[in-house]
Amino acid sequence: MRFYEVPDTLYAEQDQFDRDIKEYVEGRINPVKFKAIRVAHGVYEQRQEHTYMVRIRCAAGGITPTQLKKVSEVGDVYGSGEVHFTTRQEVQVHDVLVNGVIKVIRGLNDVGLSSRGGGGNTVRNILTSIDSGISSTEVFDVEPYAIALTTRMIDEPDSWNLPRKLKISMSNGPDDTTYTQSTCLGFVATVKDGVKGFQVFCSGGMGAKPMVGHALLDFVPDTHVYHVTKALKVMFDKNGNRRSKYSSRIKFLWKKVGEDEFKRIFHEEYDQIKNDRSLDLVLESIDNSAKSTDLAVQSVDTAEFELWKKRYVTAQKQEGLSSIKIPLELGDVLRADANSLCDFLLNFGENTMRCERDQNIRLRNIPTEYLGNAYNVITGLKKSLVKHAPFIGNMINCTGASTCKLGICLPRGLSSAIRDQLTGTDLDLDIIPDFRLNMSGCPNTCGMHHVANLGFFGKVGRKDGDMYPAYNILAGGKVEKAGEMKYAQRVDEIASHRIPEFVNAFLKVWIEKKKAGTYADYNTFLEEEGNTLIKTLCDSYRDVPTYEADAGFYTDFGAKRRLSMDELGTAECSAGMFDMIEVDKKQIKKARKVLDAGSDEERPDAIQKILFSASRMLLVTRGLDAKTDEQVYDLFGKHFMTAGLIDEKFRPLLALGKAADVSAIFAQEPAVLALTSEVEALYKNMDDSLRFKATDGKVIKEREGYELDSEVEAEPVAKTIQMFEKDYRGVGCPMNFVKTKLVLETMESGDQLKILLDDGEPIKNVPGSVKLEGHAVLLQEQVGPHWEVLIQKK
Amino acid sequence: MTLTEAQVERYSRHILLQDVGGEGQEKILNAKVLVIGAGGLGSPIALYLAAAGVGTIGIIDGDVVDVSNLQRQVIHFTPDVGVPKVESAKNKIQEINPDVNVVTYQDIVHSKNILDVIKDYDFVVDGTDNFAAKFLINDACVIAGKPYSHGGILRFDGQTMTHVPGEACYRCVFKQPPPANAVPTCSQAGVLGAVAGMLGTIQAAEVLKYIIGVGDLLVNRLLIFDAKSMKFRTSNFKKNPNCPVCGENPTVTELVDGEQAVCDLKV
Ligand code: HEM
Ligand code: SF4
Ligand SMILES: [Zn+2]
Repeated sequence: MRFYEVPDTLYAEQDQFDRDIKEYVEGRINPVKFKAIRVAHGVYEQRQEHTYMVRIRCAAGGITPTQLKKVSEVGDVYGSGEVHFTTRQEVQVHDVLVNGVIKVIRGLNDVGLSSRGGGGNTVRNILTSIDSGISSTEVFDVEPYAIALTTRMIDEPDSWNLPRKLKISMSNGPDDTTYTQSTCLGFVATVKDGVKGFQVFCSGGMGAKPMVGHALLDFVPDTHVYHVTKALKVMFDKNGNRRSKYSSRIKFLWKKVGEDEFKRIFHEEYDQIKNDRSLDLVLESIDNSAKSTDLAVQSVDTAEFELWKKRYVTAQKQEGLSSIKIPLELGDVLRADANSLCDFLLNFGENTMRCERDQNIRLRNIPTEYLGNAYNVITGLKKSLVKHAPFIGNMINCTGASTCKLGICLPRGLSSAIRDQLTGTDLDLDIIPDFRLNMSGCPNTCGMHHVANLGFFGKVGRKDGDMYPAYNILAGGKVEKAGEMKYAQRVDEIASHRIPEFVNAFLKVWIEKKKAGTYADYNTFLEEEGNTLIKTLCDSYRDVPTYEADAGFYTDFGAKRRLSMDELGTAECSAGMFDMIEVDKKQIKKARKVLDAGSDEERPDAIQKILFSASRMLLVTRGLDAKTDEQVYDLFGKHFMTAGLIDEKFRPLLALGKAADVSAIFAQEPAVLALTSEVEALYKNMDDSLRFKATDGKVIKEREGYELDSEVEAEPVAKTIQMFEKDYRGVGCPMNFVKTKLVLETMESGDQLKILLDDGEPIKNVPGSVKLEGHAVLLQEQVGPHWEVLIQKK
Repeated sequence: MTLTEAQVERYSRHILLQDVGGEGQEKILNAKVLVIGAGGLGSPIALYLAAAGVGTIGIIDGDVVDVSNLQRQVIHFTPDVGVPKVESAKNKIQEINPDVNVVTYQDIVHSKNILDVIKDYDFVVDGTDNFAAKFLINDACVIAGKPYSHGGILRFDGQTMTHVPGEACYRCVFKQPPPANAVPTCSQAGVLGAVAGMLGTIQAAEVLKYIIGVGDLLVNRLLIFDAKSMKFRTSNFKKNPNCPVCGENPTVTELVDGEQAVCDLKV
């Protein structure tokens, strides 16, 4: 069984990708170009250079035990050894080195999984309700639609080059477990006059500028799922070229053109195809049953077992079958755990598992008489949180600064710290099993803080110029009912290190009130006293020790070093980047006030400041970092004027700026202000891919011959790479590294060295030490009892 | 030159350092360092340089080992009493590291021999015990364009600086030797043996840093420590244009021997 079929064209694409990787390593493709190629293959660079994560599509969250075993095998051989279950109901392999990427991808072919479209401007993984097909209260099973739609969409060439990503989700009933209003296109199963169909929402989205989705169609028959999606996709695609200001994301398009116009242009497409029955999806219903097995039944008869059943086991609508939630520690599964779990599941067949959007695993189709066996297997997993109340495993956190280039804080560390704090108290967490405590490392919402009951997203705190990790606090997200979604609102902010105590104190009050039945629901509690409580608690934690007094406060949970923005990705990084842009925006605003109200003596200075900030403001979007004031003008001239983004007529201002000739600049006041408006307009029309658009919505293409990277790094020059090979099996630590170093010293930059190392300490230590010296580790692969490590000299 | 298997093994803890590596170790193996004085400072300096694999170590000292030396001059052992210090030192160095070529001079430095002795070395280390010698070494090194490490200890205190050609010298800070007996000599003051070890190893580290070319040397800086309070501080100073030896109009143009308040209790 498979949850989608990969198109045949995929293999040729992989061969091309393989060649691209080789060219990149040899320096013949620059990193920016390589990024565009790899992201479409679901391959993202992690915070550490030359280290990648591979995102694997799991339509409807479906993955078979056979598939998971394979993913954890390639993850173990080429990556960190853990498979990560994500909020997008898919799986990821982390810490894959550049030459391992293609091996992971080809390994997945064996089991019909693909990372194609894991990222990039395409139709992303389609989400479905976790209990779809097995819930006794659902309207109907939506999985067949998600699966058929996925297979159809990834087979259509026009799915691969959309203006932006397109996210789709499908709920099996009005309790909307897939948050259809937080996504580009959401389907909610419903029945009208005896006809199966969907209520359709669209234009929702989280991210740094969240928007709640709107009702697009009150009802479409279930035969029309493809038509709606196709129409939206085509309309989306076309609008990329329309005279529209906000064309990049569906949510912005709605905001810009308004409901009526949006619906009109949607129907323009939809009405053309809606009666074409040849386009209907070919649905295959999903058989939720268990294969018969001669596995011996294990019966367990303990209080713990009964508690576990209450917490984690749900009866399915299918007689005699159960669904089981496995709470994972930070969403990660070790290979050994995956193997023991999957081997158990294969007794009952391939349709036994789903990825749950709270970064957990949900089993299904487990015969109830085997619950004892399941209990024994699950409690035997090394990295599960099954001993705890469901609240603990339900916490969501993005990967944050440990691997993500945009991350400010480390929500993984925070999540563990909160867990340690709460499990050390007598809080009755079983009172709030469904509580959503979600954390993101930056404003980008990968940890879904907008839908949280209590959410956090990372920010930089400052004390006397020192930076410490901190979070914004949000509360009150509402997702329980289709059409009534509400995002959480920001309430306050707090230092990372105060959060565990804060959460403890806050939940203590909520659990008491909930037990006592004081309020109708959580949001009423918030309105009546919860929001005030958050602020009062924050006030009591407001005190920040100086760095001298408590250095630990300045190092995030789970971080090795104190918080610093140095390693933030530049062009890829929106969070840190927006902060930098803000500085110049504020400076311009302040100077404008002086122009309006200040004295005459202050005016020339203000104009100079405006010119400087306007020139600097957008450099960061191109990944440029001016070392001196003069360089600001040089870089701005080259990357904005020569590139054709800003009118050449302003060029004379740059020389004045460089010469810091205040009176000459002041004489050009109108030109400076006009230039500033152009820069601001450019920024206003920048999309999340950092592309600038003209007011007509067209992407402003950089002028021919202009190469963004020419300044940042020299044009790639092809070089013949020399290969070296050394066998350090049997050589202990640190002599193996000593020898490796000595060989690297004799090599030329760009040359590659393959070393053989023993398992254990050598493989744990040597590659890391090589990286610390600045070399790139391209591949690290276990071959029998030893390891092969491929190093490229810096 | 490439390292032998045995050398890779012996110097692996150097090679592991990102700033040293095989290349840095080869520089050490090719270096020539002169240690003036095989006493309290010279002992740790010579021992550490030998262990590090400095290719050629020159040692100049005119004394024989006295039992009162053994409290701090750790390169000499009890059976060495009566043996010339340079002999005793050479034996120990070769036991530590047969790679090292030791050149000995059983003599004291004076104005007539010093230029000739230092000319073959890349770096000079002052491990002497009196101001006259310290000024002589400074002047000779400035005139000959040799980098050198100055070091002095007294009671619980130590001070050191490093001179490289073109930067401040010892005379830039201290114009001339204090009159004889104006400062206590070691016999009057005594010295805690371990203080000699502390300062000597700092000097040895400066030598090695200079050879491999990493870090910031104590150039234009004087490091002073007090082992009683265990406080270290460095004060910055500049090359003095009026310096008698390295200034714009030098008055010390040839070497003379000062009056040496020779210490009974050799450092
Ligand atoms: C290099 C940059 C990024 C990486 C590597 C990344 C990675 C991820 C990952 C791994 C998830 C799943 C979370 C998990 O379970 O661990 C996720 C979810 C998500 N990401 Fe990102 N992300 C990036 C940038 C962004 C940006 C810039 C935005 C928005 C502007 C964004 C918006 C979201 C949202 C809204 C989700 C929540 C899932 C949902 O829609 O249900 N991400 N991202
Ligand atoms: S929320 Fe921010 S820190 Fe977390 S994964 Fe997304 S982009 Fe990275
Ligand atoms: Zn001088």
